[in-house]
Amino acid sequence: MKKIIGICDLHNDPELGELTAKRPLGSVSFLGRYGLIDFTLSNFSNSNIDRVYILAKNGASRLRKHLGNGAIWTNNTKRGFVGLYLNEKGLANPTFNTDISNIKENLNINDIDFDYAIVAPSYMLASMDFRPIINAHEASEADVTVIYSHVDNADSDFIRCDKLKVSDDGSIAKVSKNLGRSANADISLDTYIISKKAFKKLISDSSKVSELYSIKDMINYYIEDESLIVKGYRFEGYVVPILSLNKYVEHSLDLLNYHIRNKLMLPEWPIYTTTHNTPPALYGRSADVENSFIANGAIIKGRVRNCIISRDVVIEKDADLRNCIIFTHSQIGKGVKMEYVVCDKDAKVSNVEKLIGKEDEIILIDQGARV
Amino acid sequence: MQTKNKVVAMILAGGKGTRLESLTKKTAKPAVSFAAKYRIIDFPISNCANSGINVVGVLLQYESAELDAYIGNGEKWGLNGIHCLMSTLAPKQTEKGANWYKGTADAITQNIDFLDKANPEYVLILSGDHIYKTSYTQMIQLHESSKADVTISVIEVDPKEASRFGIMAVDKKDRITEFQEKPKVPKSNLASMGVYVFSWKALREYLIRDDKDPESEHDFGKNIIPQMLKDKKKLQAYRFEGYWRDVGTLASLHEANMDIALDKAGLDLYDEDDSNKIYTEDVYSVPQYVGKKGSIRSSIANQGAIILGDVESSVISSGALIESGAKLTRCVVMEGARIRSGAKIHNAIVAPYVDIEEGRQINLGSDEVVLVSK
Repeated sequence: MKKIIGICDLHNDPELGELTAKRPLGSVSFLGRYGLIDFTLSNFSNSNIDRVYILAKNGASRLRKHLGNGAIWTNNTKRGFVGLYLNEKGLANPTFNTDISNIKENLNINDIDFDYAIVAPSYMLASMDFRPIINAHEASEADVTVIYSHVDNADSDFIRCDKLKVSDDGSIAKVSKNLGRSANADISLDTYIISKKAFKKLISDSSKVSELYSIKDMINYYIEDESLIVKGYRFEGYVVPILSLNKYVEHSLDLLNYHIRNKLMLPEWPIYTTTHNTPPALYGRSADVENSFIANGAIIKGRVRNCIISRDVVIEKDADLRNCIIFTHSQIGKGVKMEYVVCDKDAKVSNVEKLIGKEDEIILIDQGARV
Repeated sequence: MQTKNKVVAMILAGGKGTRLESLTKKTAKPAVSFAAKYRIIDFPISNCANSGINVVGVLLQYESAELDAYIGNGEKWGLNGIHCLMSTLAPKQTEKGANWYKGTADAITQNIDFLDKANPEYVLILSGDHIYKTSYTQMIQLHESSKADVTISVIEVDPKEASRFGIMAVDKKDRITEFQEKPKVPKSNLASMGVYVFSWKALREYLIRDDKDPESEHDFGKNIIPQMLKDKKKLQAYRFEGYWRDVGTLASLHEANMDIALDKAGLDLYDEDDSNKIYTEDVYSVPQYVGKKGSIRSSIANQGAIILGDVESSVISSGALIESGAKLTRCVVMEGARIRSGAKIHNAIVAPYVDIEEGRQINLGSDEVVLVSK
């Protein structure tokens, strides 16, 4: 049987301004009940990958709070695990805080018993079964497989992602930065299958090539220097990256659409997440809710349209929310009107009449703020 | 070394619950769904956890497998810690033969070994089908300070209803002087809740005596308590205040659900204070979604419910799908049920995974609660 480890690599996750000032992107709330990292971790679980290494750049305590002991994503809790690794030296020296330095600091690749490692970030939102990809990787005799998607929204949703030129034999001929000059492109999902031998080589070569290089940089390096066979695997499912606050809102609200939701949330592919023993959502007599996700523990007395309401949120009577995302434990007071607002957790909005943002000008209310 | 456990709770969860009709055809009553997310037994188990009781035995009999799997190692209620023991106790074969539990007291008698091993000072006897939020600490303190042999939790009921209950007559110090089972002429309005704190020594003695009595029905209310009264043991009443419901019938189960949906239960599930939280299983479901033409008012709905129709004064469980054009009033929709387009239902409990066909009308205009099942 093939031995596979999952590496959830958070080092390359983008920053979303204030929203990620105090937490890594992976622990940012999503659809009112998930953390973004849940998708990657559930992809591992559902693909029967029971040994998972999370490489964190920072924010380990926030992540640890979300992850608990990791048992939620683990099948056999004795044999499997979800480990969280942080390069503490890297915190003082962010330039050198790479995924490779994290691995070197915390793990000894030689000692880990595996045939293939899957390296995936948390910002690339998809429900992905790794099993057929591993089979394809094995059959192709590649050292590294880069998972990519052929997209028709490269000019809007995949800016600055890696654009690939894939040869007819499946090998990757060229990598470049996607500047969004055309809508159709093969875009790397920043997700890789790496054979153990290649992984060892990658780690050892990195010291010679550059201390600043990440796993992704090294793979791109091999694509040019051809000392490893790097092939592509075209993933056909729904995928979007979370690259900015505006895109975070746009892609979150997109999922209110049943047809889009059904592409990401697959019936045989549960997304596991930390649970909090919150009671069911409570709707008051004056509740008026349309096209929204409502998480448990929420108390809704006002008007809510095209919104995502998280756990334990209170929406008071006559409040009127459109296209908003409200994080855990925030309260929106009587009569407050809001559009295109992301309200971070524990905030209280009651002293303003109106907060009106736009699709491309999202208003962010900070964690714990009183507005 | 055997750790001393001051209090061990024993939860009686073996009943068939025939009055819940087909809801309990394949499910033990305590495992029946409640308030969109919970199962009835979550309430007494969470109360134990929140009272700092570490050892909990759950007596199972009818359809024990599902409830046994649900209870597991107690992790859902945090009862899997180093000093905890959560144990499901179904009837078993022993050197004396194999026996069903013949009554509530017999269920405990057959598990004397379990209690001896836990070695408690007090045994808390609970029912697995009561909805209430409490800490048992005060009741145990009263039992201790009053030096009683048994303390019985009582609740004031409407004097007109008193003849439906086991009624306790008490003196000025709330010592129980008389017990009347469903009396025609009640001597008080204090009804027994079927919640007892026994001193283990006294209980052990009475269980063994009762076991030898061929006339006994081996029931706490009918045999153990009357015998202790007769023997002039110290029986103390503990006055429970707050919301408490026995949900043994369809009507009472429906009513208690409505109390929560209409936010008038006095059983605050939304309490800011976490120390009395009711814990339960969280299912891995998609988020709850209310559709473009959906509406939901005066209701509760759990994670994974999809509401595309019109919902008022109802309880919608996980995985339930209310299609557009469906209309529900005063309904308790259990897990995975599907109400198709145009169906109209009033005052009903819809059993798990029932599929209601398009346009069907059920119980409209009726005050009687009906069960809709497969």
